[in-house]
Amino acid sequence: MIGAVLLVVLPFFGAFLLPLLHRHYPPVTYWAGPVVLISNLVIALGLWYGVSEVGPQSIIFGGFAAPLGITFYIDPLAVLFVMMLNAGCLVLWLGAWHRRLHEEILILLITGAGCGLMLSGDLFNLYVFFEIMAVASYGLAASRRHGPDSHAASLRFLLLGATASSLGLLGIALIYALTGTLNLSHLAILAPSTLHGPVGLAAFALLLIGFGVKAELFPLNTWVQEVYATSPPRISALLAGIVSKLALVVVLRLLLLLYSDTSAHLLLLTVGLLGLVSAELAAWRATDLRRVLAYSSVGQLSLMAIAFSIPGPAGVMAGIALGLHHALVKPALFLLTESWQARLHELRGLAWLCRCSAFAFVLLALSLIGVPPLPGFWAKFWLLQAGFAAGGWYQTALWIVLLSVIIETAYLLRITRLLFARQASPRFCEPPQRRNLAPVLLLGGVLMLVTLSVAPIGDGLRRIAQQTVDTGTYINYTLSAWQDDKSHWNSFPTRRLTP
Amino acid sequence: MLVEEAAWLYVFAYLGAIGLILLGLYGLVMSRHLIRMLLGLSLLEAGVNLFLIAAGYRPGGVAPILTEATRGLLMVDPIPQALVLTAIVIGVGVQALALALVIKVYQAYGTLDMDALTAHIAAVPVARSAPTSVSAEEASP
Repeated sequence: MIGAVLLVVLPFFGAFLLPLLHRHYPPVTYWAGPVVLISNLVIALGLWYGVSEVGPQSIIFGGFAAPLGITFYIDPLAVLFVMMLNAGCLVLWLGAWHRRLHEEILILLITGAGCGLMLSGDLFNLYVFFEIMAVASYGLAASRRHGPDSHAASLRFLLLGATASSLGLLGIALIYALTGTLNLSHLAILAPSTLHGPVGLAAFALLLIGFGVKAELFPLNTWVQEVYATSPPRISALLAGIVSKLALVVVLRLLLLLYSDTSAHLLLLTVGLLGLVSAELAAWRATDLRRVLAYSSVGQLSLMAIAFSIPGPAGVMAGIALGLHHALVKPALFLLTESWQARLHELRGLAWLCRCSAFAFVLLALSLIGVPPLPGFWAKFWLLQAGFAAGGWYQTALWIVLLSVIIETAYLLRITRLLFARQASPRFCEPPQRRNLAPVLLLGGVLMLVTLSVAPIGDGLRRIAQQTVDTGTYINYTLSAWQDDKSHWNSFPTRRLTP
Repeated sequence: MLVEEAAWLYVFAYLGAIGLILLGLYGLVMSRHLIRMLLGLSLLEAGVNLFLIAAGYRPGGVAPILTEATRGLLMVDPIPQALVLTAIVIGVGVQALALALVIKVYQAYGTLDMDALTAHIAAVPVARSAPTSVSAEEASP
């Protein structure tokens, strides 16, 4: 049980101790990060085993009963994304040879905050973890040694992110004013009577703004291409591939617990569709490889948002699959581009210079498009299945999704054609260094393994999605202290916005 | 009598909070100067914090500090106050980081104009005029 706490505490402990240790013993920078991540991964595996054997669990902190105290809720969804976060950071560590102290500290902070974000069951606690993650990302985006462009991009990112976070906090304040509680399970009980009105939906919209910046949702994703084009590929890989998913999973949790059966689903669907279309069109017009990848990552996250907006376990399953697939593919693509930082036309004929990485690029791009039998196909297939089953607006939305897949295919195949063009070898690009190729090959290998074992993974994801949409269990587990005396639920002081 | 006073307090607090939020958003959206945008951001944060505090106010309540003197008296809701304390600290951290970045950006570009910065970022990667750069590299060895 203590493991879930250690998931958050260990990275924070490492992050704050690292500068002190570094002063007396510099080599600590090289192994402290991986040690923390590996131990986190082991703990997460233990939790995974416990969750799949026993079922979801919850921790109550400080001896305060659930609606007042902060709870952690450990279910397969949370543990799955905690494992994704830690494994992803570990793979990216493999790609860094010159390690810089402050980057290591910030990545550890992101890890700790991300784990807390997945596990926490308290709205304000979520906000605090989210802010830690956001501030660490601003720092990482600015961490390039040369190039003030990354500072400028990070500053713009920060202004947008801080504004949106403030509006998100306003949403939390509205929810508190409406219900008088911040505990997610208590809110889930009170939501149908208090939060499903126009003010409650406005609070959801504000929260969507707050979390949407990191999740690269539609109107708030202007920072994406700027930051990914100027920051080191390893950082872009971390932010695009891993951090953004966590924010979207939080949105899913809020949607399921607080706003099931409301028009909040349609709001998320609209935002996702607009993001998808705008991102794919922008990627089609982009002239620089990094920006193409950045826009395509916005598109993939919008797809994930569309999947999450479909009510029922099928949509959740498709969303998780899309998220995990993107977390596998996009970091590898970003790492490949470290030495290909160029306009698209300068990439002409690059495949004859570096065959291995060009082959890896094509494989990853095909999976991103969704060519069977690669995992990307199955993720999109599940999304289509869920959408058709849901009917109504969701069915109409699928035509837009299919259209965007066509655009995606067009621009990714155009890059592939450029890579394999018969021409003199390009002057500005060089083969990716071996340190970048190692994680790419590792991720590509995992992708092939997943391709071979799609059926069992699909069954596992279906089970996880079933447990995720089962909010009754969530409420029962986190409010277990209140189980015996249910009259508390009604007598707990609730207040209205107006006196 | 007491209730009416309290109602006015609510009205003032909520109006003030909403006014600060709108003012902050206006500053963020309409100005191009980085420092002005940061000031807008801090107004926005202040507005949100005021909103939280107002949400926790109880008519006639005292500060939620449990001592012998306040035992048994009506207190305002302590939770929003704790939240606002945290939010203020987060806000200070974010603004400090923003100002540090502003200094870096000003040192690099000599401008605090947002549009100029956007133009700089849009030029990444810098378009390389092929003949000159290559000939320079070839000439050096």
